[in-house]
Formats: sequence, structure tokens, C-alpha cells
Amino acid sequence: LSQKVQAIYLWWHKPVIDQELLQSLPNLKVIANSGVGMDHLDVKLIASFGVKMANAPHAVSSSTADAGMALLLASTRRLVEVHHIAISPSVDYNEADILGVKVTGATLGIIGMGRIGYKIALRAKAFEMNILYHNRTRRKVQEEQAVGATYCEKIDSLLQQADFVMVVVSLTPQTRNLIGKRELELMKPTAILINISRGAVVDQEALVTALQTGVLGAAALDVTYPEPLPRDHPLLKLKNVLITPHLGIKTDKATYMITEEAVENILAALNGLPIPSEVLPS
Amino acid sequence: MWYHKPVVNEELLQSLPNLRIVASSGVGIDHLDLKLLSSYGVKVSNTPFVVSTDTADLGMALMLASSRRLVEGYEMAISPDTEYFPADWLGAEVSGATLGIVGMGTIGYKVAERAKAFEMKILYHNRSQRKKEEESAVGAVYCKKIDDLLQQSDFVMLAVNLTPQTHKLIGKRELELMKPTATLINISRGLVVDQDALVEALQKKIIKAAALDVTYPEPLPRDHPLLKLKNVIITPHIGSATKKTRRIMMEEMIESIQAGLAGLPVPHEV
Repeated sequence: LSQKVQAIYLWWHKPVIDQELLQSLPNLKVIANSGVGMDHLDVKLIASFGVKMANAPHAVSSSTADAGMALLLASTRRLVEVHHIAISPSVDYNEADILGVKVTGATLGIIGMGRIGYKIALRAKAFEMNILYHNRTRRKVQEEQAVGATYCEKIDSLLQQADFVMVVVSLTPQTRNLIGKRELELMKPTAILINISRGAVVDQEALVTALQTGVLGAAALDVTYPEPLPRDHPLLKLKNVLITPHLGIKTDKATYMITEEAVENILAALNGLPIPSEVLPS
Repeated sequence: MWYHKPVVNEELLQSLPNLRIVASSGVGIDHLDLKLLSSYGVKVSNTPFVVSTDTADLGMALMLASSRRLVEGYEMAISPDTEYFPADWLGAEVSGATLGIVGMGTIGYKVAERAKAFEMKILYHNRSQRKKEEESAVGAVYCKKIDDLLQQSDFVMLAVNLTPQTHKLIGKRELELMKPTATLINISRGLVVDQDALVEALQKKIIKAAALDVTYPEPLPRDHPLLKLKNVIITPHIGSATKKTRRIMMEEMIESIQAGLAGLPVPHEV
């Protein structure tokens, strides 16, 4: 069987692609990833075996952007908290305990303005939000104008002004621990951090401290490190934290589109044609 | 008047001979007997526009939370029993789906503006059709018959005010017209929906889910079936519950009261 395998469709990081597996599959030509993140793959190792790689960038962007907005809205309006109040056996609550933060007209800082970040900007614009963004490179003027986004060359400037900070970068050596103690302290004490990228982009210990000491207002995390967190982790107990189980791309439609994109990539590779979403070891 | 208290009835009005004005918080005035108040020469004011964006924002929040199973997801993420996140746990996509807005007033229109950015297909039903430019700006298609909207929508959002005409607007018939995969979102008033019919529709999977900021009564009795259904999100009427908006509402109410007491034209008079 191992001689026959020419393609792997990687679903949610399984199987683990290591030296042993690659050596056992001599005819492997392509690994198609279900999603856009490639941080779980040793791309250099895979390339050294002459195996091509592809991801599914187009299929994930809308669902992930939607998830980012869902977390932003749920967190600002305290949705999960007040839902539990609404259904709890006791009807006694303080009006002040259910007041949230106004979203329309607030300032959103987007860190990482790729496909997903840009879709978030498009959505945020409809909520009349003031949009700041920080990115490796600046976007074209027309793209900025279309969403009314202002470039912050220095991340500090974004952190200091934003009411909500949405992290939408890919995980690379440069973005690991991008948001640490220093960055959290630059943020407003009322600010909300939303992470839909990768857990490792945020220094989790620093985040816990910031939330506990009032340095940061709240956090909404679709991703953590690891996933799931150990059951005794402080993040699970903090009242001002919303955690979701990495649901960014978990919709029926996205799953279907991801598989379609993966199949396209696999067929192209097997037919010796250019791969639409090839990922090269850079 | 805050959150419908005190109840303004004949007895109260008779006991307050010098009452000049009732300033009500929020935009809804369904809890006030306007004829009765007028007969006592008492003016009424509300805070109509300041609540619009927060309420529209909440409508979007409820739609996203429901479709992406946020409450369930959170519970899974923090549960002591969770060992891994199952690979087949999926929600429904909002982007590109069809949203049917019932009631295209100020709030309904702001919902449309937001939904458009999610590339949603927008249908709306209203007493009257909006101007062409207003429709084009949000890409909304008018459904003169509510049935057409109900049959095509993945999400049905109620943004009407409560009047004798909209009382139980969504009943058994309307729920059965909806798709079995559809979600009902109510940010208007509990009485716009036939609640018993809604419970049955949710239990029998005639519709998929509901997200309600409003119920009748508020709060629901603690043994009410809606509180136990897994496919229901309930929030405690927080449409306008943000610090900024509540502050402005207070300011507007005070303005109206001061004008009323001074015999001047009352801002936001109903």
C-alpha cells in the first residue's frame, strides 16, 4: 500500500508528517493541507523528499473572518455571560453586570492584513468602525480606501489607539510571541484582544497576568497553545475570557470548499501541472 | 421610566395630578397606553435613534453566535471533560447566506448594512417598500408577501415594533414556512412571536434554532421550555445595553423632561 500512495490530504494535522512517514512513502508526490496554516509542517523536510505542498487559502477566509467578528461581538456584548444569566435559576442580576461595550464607531486594530484580515476590515467597516492595521507590507492605497483602513507602520501606534485588537497573522518565527508583556501594556486597559491566528502568536502567560491585573480588559481566543488547554489552566477560569474550540473554519460550507480546493491541488500535482495554491519552502 | 417601570395606569395617573411628562427609555412604546396618557394631558417621550446601532449590532452578534455555535463551543472549550476538539463539530456559514429582515425601519436597515459586508443575500418585508436607492445601497430585495421571505431565508431577523398588527406575526404557519435549517432571531418584542408555537417548532426541528433578546414575559419563568432547549440562545434584553448608549439615553430623557416641565417643545416627543 505504501508504494501506491501518491497524495496525502491532511485533515486537521493528521497524520503527522515526519521523516519516518516520508521514507515509507516513496511515491508520495503531494501533501494537500486542509486550511491555510502550515506551521504544523516541516516544509523544508518535506521539500527535501521532493514532495510538493499546497494549502487552501481561498476556502478559509470568509469563515475565519466571520468567526473573528463573532468573537468580537460576543466579547464586547458579553453574550455568553448574559446568556447564562438569562437562563440561570436565579433572576437576580445587576443592570451593570450586563452592560457591554459599544461596537459601532469603535477603533479596531487588525494585526495581519492578509486575505482574512482584509475580509475582517470589510465587515468592520459596515459597523462604522475606525480601522487601523499593521502588516509586514503596506496595502495598496485603493485597498486601504475601500475599507477606510489606516496603516500603522509601528505596531505600538495601533496598540495604543485600538479598542479591539484582532490578531490575524500566520505563525512564523517572526510572529511567535508577537503579543507579549510589552505589547499588552501598550494596549488600553479597557481593550479587548481577539486571537484567530495561532495560540503561539500570543505569550499566554503574559496574557493571563495582563487579564488578572487589569492591564487588559478582556480576551476572546479561538486558538490557544496547546489545544485544548490543560483543564487547570488559568485562562479557563477568568471571567473576562471567551475561548472557542478553534472553530474558525468549522462550517459545513468551508469544509466542503476546503476539500474542493485540496482535490484541485492534488489533481494538478499528480498530472504534473502548476499547483494552484502551492506552498514553497522559503 | 426605565424598563417599563412603573406601570402607568389609570390609578397612577389619578394619584399624580401634577404629572406633566413620562420619559420612556428606549424606542419601544408598546407598554404605554398613549390614549390614556393623552386624556390626562401627559406628554410622552422616548429615545428613538440612539438605540439603533447597538440593537443592530446585537442582531448580528446573535446571528453569528447561533450559526457558529459559540455558546456550545465555549462550554466545550472550558469543560473539565474535554480531552480534544472533535473534527466533525461544525457550524453553519453566515457569509453568502440569505438573511430575511422582517421590519426595515431604522434598526432593520442598519442590520442590512452590516449583513451586506458579510456578502449575505438580503430579503426584507415591511409595511411599505423602501426607496430604490436605499434598497440598492444594501442590495436588499423587497418581499411584499412575508411567505416569500420565510421560504428563502437561512436567517430570519425580526426588527418590527410591537403593534396590534405585529402581535404574533410569527406563528405556527410562519414557522412551518421557514426552512428546517433556518434560524429565527428576535430583537423586537417577545409578543411578535407566538412563543408556544416557537417552542414546538424548535422541539420538532421545524426550524433549526432561535436566538432571542426578547421574550414574553421578561424574564421567562424559570421552568419555561425555552430555557432548556439546546438550540436556543437567550439574552436579557440587552439590545441597547452598552455604557455609551445608556448614558446618551439618560441625557436625552433628562432633556425631554426639562423641556416638558418648562412648557417648551419636547425633544423625541411621541
